[in-house]
Amino acid sequence: MKDLTVLTGSEIAQGIKDGSLNEEGVLSFFKARIEKKDTSLKSFVEVYDKPLEADGSSDLGGVPIAIKDNICIKGKKITCASKILASHVSVYDATVVERLKKTGLRIVGTANMDEFAFGSSTENSCYGPTKNPWDTSRVPGGSSGGSAAAVGARLVPFALGSDTGGSIRQPACFCGVVGFKPTYGRVSRYGLVAFGSSLDQIGPLTTNFIDCAHLLNIISGYDPKDSTSDMAESVDFTGALVDDVKNIRIGIPKEYFGEGLDGQVRQAINEAIEIFKKKGVQTVQVSLPHTEYAVATYYIVASSEASSNLQRFDGIRYGARCASGNLKEVYFASRGKGLGDESKRRIFLGTHSLSSGYYDAYYARALKVRTLIRRDFDEVFRNVDVVLTPTSPTPAFKIGEKVTDPLSMYLSDIYTISANLAGLPAVSVPCGFAKGNLPIGLQLIARAFDESTLIRLGFSYQRTTDFHKRIPSV
Amino acid sequence: MDEFDIVIGLEVHVQLKTKSKIFCSCSTEFESPPNTNICPVCCGYPGVLPVFNQKALELGVRVARGLGCEINPQIYFERKSYFYPDLPKNYQISQYKMPLGENGWLTLPSGKRIGIGRVHLEEDAGKLVHKKDYSLVDLNRTGIPLLEIVSKPDINSADEAFDYLTYLKLALQYIEASDCDMEKGILRCDANISLKKKGTQALGVKVELKNMNSFRGVRDALDYEAKRQAKTLEKSEKITQETRLWDETKRKTMVMRSKEEAHDYRYFPEPDLRKFSISLECKKIQENFLSKIEMPLKKREKFTKMYGLSAKDTDVLISDMWLANFFEEATTTFSDYKKMCGWLLGPFLEQVNALGASSGEVKISPANFAKVVKYFAEGKLNNLAAKKVLSLCVSTNKDIDRVIEEEGLVQVSGHQELQRFIEEALSQNPKPVQEYLGGKQQAIQFLVGQVMRKTQGKANPKVVRELLEESLKKHKGESSE
Repeated sequence: MKDLTVLTGSEIAQGIKDGSLNEEGVLSFFKARIEKKDTSLKSFVEVYDKPLEADGSSDLGGVPIAIKDNICIKGKKITCASKILASHVSVYDATVVERLKKTGLRIVGTANMDEFAFGSSTENSCYGPTKNPWDTSRVPGGSSGGSAAAVGARLVPFALGSDTGGSIRQPACFCGVVGFKPTYGRVSRYGLVAFGSSLDQIGPLTTNFIDCAHLLNIISGYDPKDSTSDMAESVDFTGALVDDVKNIRIGIPKEYFGEGLDGQVRQAINEAIEIFKKKGVQTVQVSLPHTEYAVATYYIVASSEASSNLQRFDGIRYGARCASGNLKEVYFASRGKGLGDESKRRIFLGTHSLSSGYYDAYYARALKVRTLIRRDFDEVFRNVDVVLTPTSPTPAFKIGEKVTDPLSMYLSDIYTISANLAGLPAVSVPCGFAKGNLPIGLQLIARAFDESTLIRLGFSYQRTTDFHKRIPSV
Repeated sequence: MDEFDIVIGLEVHVQLKTKSKIFCSCSTEFESPPNTNICPVCCGYPGVLPVFNQKALELGVRVARGLGCEINPQIYFERKSYFYPDLPKNYQISQYKMPLGENGWLTLPSGKRIGIGRVHLEEDAGKLVHKKDYSLVDLNRTGIPLLEIVSKPDINSADEAFDYLTYLKLALQYIEASDCDMEKGILRCDANISLKKKGTQALGVKVELKNMNSFRGVRDALDYEAKRQAKTLEKSEKITQETRLWDETKRKTMVMRSKEEAHDYRYFPEPDLRKFSISLECKKIQENFLSKIEMPLKKREKFTKMYGLSAKDTDVLISDMWLANFFEEATTTFSDYKKMCGWLLGPFLEQVNALGASSGEVKISPANFAKVVKYFAEGKLNNLAAKKVLSLCVSTNKDIDRVIEEEGLVQVSGHQELQRFIEEALSQNPKPVQEYLGGKQQAIQFLVGQVMRKTQGKANPKVVRELLEESLKKHKGESSE
């Protein structure tokens, strides 16, 4: 069979449609590839014996896809990489899964992640860490590390992840793929196991912007089952696949280029800016003055919501129950044994922030700062169409390097968090390689519901560069 | 006891009359087999999201406006956290800082206004069924829409609390917002009570009372608790701020938890639901609905003053809006209000109860009912016949005149017609005749009965008696001659 790793998902779908490829052949090609490569990568939690059946067709029909293990698939295990849910089988399909099935995509399995999406390295998984396909001694990023590693290694043409503070974009950056976080409300959250409900969005991880636009078309749109999903008219994102970015105004926020930014990353980003300039983009220095508070704000808001969202995992109705003694002991034992360290850390942090006597100082204040951060962007978007930043201050770090230092781990999301706090669409685009063949990514952030401008810029950039075409030799 | 003022506030939870739950489309049907009205959403499965039932909002607005509350301009839900097996998410979606409505009131028959502090929407929890060494969880109730109605501490006696509950319940039933059945758990009530020295301003330490299963239970628990607190204070001891449970069989309150053990509910705005405002149109529709309804207290005044009914009868009539409206409609056909009320609360309700029917199954129109009472009053039907007509028409609403004719129930009052039966009765029953003539007055009753039997109940007993007395007088004259 033809080497399908060099084709985009859309090209594969086209091949199936015109008969030059057959669907079963495509599926077995990728299945064989997963079997061969994933024993060392460990990007999957579960690979199904047979990809899930799907009726309906689309521009991506017949193409395999991996789903992060925090998105519900009816009749399949949904574990969130947590022992407490390790045996839980979902009784319903998430809205995005329903939409994938209706458009002919073939779900091949679930991707590894940090437990409940808490982390930036996929080391907080009860199944053990996923490896970075470019260097297996390094992390793939997180929390959607399994999705990013699988797409980076071309075990699947694309995957779905979820992004609460950078969980799609940072691993996409580490693994050299495109990771897109849509505007809050663009994609239904129904069936996504909630982490930070006011921040979470499901989004695609792809190798290129053509697949990205097609996947976004499929998963976007109003869902009556999600009251926070937006009723905005649906957009055909493939309309933005044109190589014309003239006069788009890009803002470069000075706060994102300060201390802690790796020199090689800085250089790659500057080179990317030059490419955009050559393509007719106008760049301008801007300021997002409340950036320095973003990490602190985020960890209070997200952990508060998470502490509440995780209360349901108590071993009473589903999931692992450690039955011992009275009710309190059942709660303590089930949660004590079922939840990992990072989950407990966030639950403590969130519970404390919401406690009476602390609420005003922490949660209520964080909401106020969140508003200021949102206003920073409103202000900047009066003059520019897009903000360009690095996705992560460094390329992928070593497995084990930060796992004992939560604070330095939290700082690895420093550039991605603000887009979630402000609810804005943002994407990580492969833009170079550091020493040791470690991918570097740039981040583009746009106005709410202006995903199209991000796709246009990304598509145009990839017409001129080939970083996204390199495949790791894992 | 007399040196203290009692200060009571009541917290009432009522189930709103919706077909589906507040955040999912499961049925609210009562008494379904355990765990049959459930779905991933109300069971709190991973990944689910709530969707707010607009009908619950409409009914909530209706109640809030009906109680004179101001509707808050922006409303949102919050999560109230506590761990318990009947609460699948271990938080309840409720309202806290921005309730649906605030600052209303309810007027009691005494004329006193009890302030309503707040009215807010929330979801109900499930039910635990405790077995010997394990417990079962039934989530049918989980997500049933509730309205919490919190009074201001304006209630000053257990009896006043009872009145408040009675009239709140009636108000909610009249505006068709809730069935308010306490036995089915559709209405629940907790109370706060404290005592303060007469003439002082400072409120005493309050105690929360739970586990009252009837309005009477609320009254008894408050009575008990007021006395307990007074005794404690009279001994110069301090009241402890705590939650106490009413024990219906032991008839006393017992400590459930102290202030220190109180929950920290960690309220915060529910991020899965957007903040929202009540549209002017929604408010208007509900206010329009309310304007067409005569509330229980107004009806009460009208029934006693305009119709001259007794307080006791009035209370029975207004306790059921359907009955009260039936009565009022009937009065347009026949205006002997007291007679009508007597027949309605007596024979009519007997017939309804005998059918085991609910008011909804009653078919007889108020006009036809009034006609029966009117015929009775005019002497066209005797008591027995009137009851028979009712029994034939309650569940059918047949034409009254036709039934009377078909059944031959028209009362026989003609003297000539009756005289034949009277003579017969007198000649066939010499013993009672002798007894009567011998001075035993009540012996005539037997003879009346005999005549009634001969006429198959169609005779007017009053006329029969008169005719009998006349005939017997003649007999007396004859025998003495």
